[in-house]
Amino acid sequence: MGLLPNLFSSPATADDKRATEVRTGAVAPTRAERAQCWAARDTYFACLDAHGIVDALDDADGRKRAAAACRGESAGFEKDCAAQWVTYFKKWRVQDIKKKARLKELEAQGANKMDVQTDFAQR
Amino acid sequence: MPPPAAAARAVFNALPRAAPRQCTRLMSTARSAPAKRPTAPSPARFQPLAQRRTFKTVEEAKSRYRSGPFSWKAGLLFVVTGAGLVWYFENEKTRMQRKRVAESTKGVGRPKVGGPFELIDQHGNKVTDADLKGRYSLVYFGFTHCPDICPEELDKMARMFDLVEEQRPGVMTPLFITCDPARDGPKQMKEYLLEFHPKFIGLTGTYEQIKAMCKAYRVYFSTPTEVQPGQDYLVDHSIYFYLMDPEGDFVEALGRQHSPDQAAKIILDHMKDWKGKLTTS
Repeated sequence: MGLLPNLFSSPATADDKRATEVRTGAVAPTRAERAQCWAARDTYFACLDAHGIVDALDDADGRKRAAAACRGESAGFEKDCAAQWVTYFKKWRVQDIKKKARLKELEAQGANKMDVQTDFAQR
Repeated sequence: MPPPAAAARAVFNALPRAAPRQCTRLMSTARSAPAKRPTAPSPARFQPLAQRRTFKTVEEAKSRYRSGPFSWKAGLLFVVTGAGLVWYFENEKTRMQRKRVAESTKGVGRPKVGGPFELIDQHGNKVTDADLKGRYSLVYFGFTHCPDICPEELDKMARMFDLVEEQRPGVMTPLFITCDPARDGPKQMKEYLLEFHPKFIGLTGTYEQIKAMCKAYRVYFSTPTEVQPGQDYLVDHSIYFYLMDPEGDFVEALGRQHSPDQAAKIILDHMKDWKGKLTTS
């Protein structure tokens, strides 16, 4: 599951070591590792969207429902991203949903739209 | 042949009749022309007789007289001049706006962004503010463990930098300054920046040096306190690009709302306005 097959040492151990380092934040991820993490994040978020879960960190309800509904996606997300990133992205998701709802509300009230980017799309 | 007396009488009779006629004509042209057209010279006075004869009808002459000096040529000249002036004033207006933005941080009593610093780059070489003088610099603050915004913005910065390089090669230094000096040493910076642009210069230093640098650039950043060694954390920081002029003064901040093309255009426009010396690397 590594990005580059390592021919000189046992592939599993070298890649596992690197993956662990990325997860714990011992090293900064490379471009490829970032892309992999973002893909895992998007898969996980798509699952949350499908189940109508906003806050996957919410102790009362969200955390349990997210764990039940998106077990596989969550495991992938946590495998490919640093633990800090997982928390960050989950919090970001809540803020982003709130922001979008607020913008929609304001737009309905006839507010002027400003050119501000809030999503991860490339421009 | 008539007798001399008869000839003399004929001449005498003819004189009084000719004189009044000539007199009235002179008076009428002299009086009526300036009275009817006080501002424009009368065609009757300045145009050669030959042209007056080209009017075939009275209507034609009247129409020429009514329209005066206006013709399609005059109209065209008017429109072209007007369009030229509008273009010039619009151009000047945007130039003055840029100048105002660029000079709002110059002189006494202005908020100062930027200033002297001493840091090390990703190759371990010392870099100071003096090394950046003479060229524009584009400064971005971030950290290598940044989850989403920094890598996106650095990719954007790379495109922006390439667009500027295409037009004005070697007049801008792209700088990435870490807000996380504890983890981002020269080695980490080198590996990280190579994935974005080979020409990016990454600066790091001690925590105090970075703190002073961020303060000088009015960059907010916060590393969590009480981090255990080896524990992962994220750094909160401002996400603007700072365009600095060849004298090391702040020009303009470029943000998330600018696409690489828009940002490159803003930078190139400021470069066009720059009257001082520009050195190329």
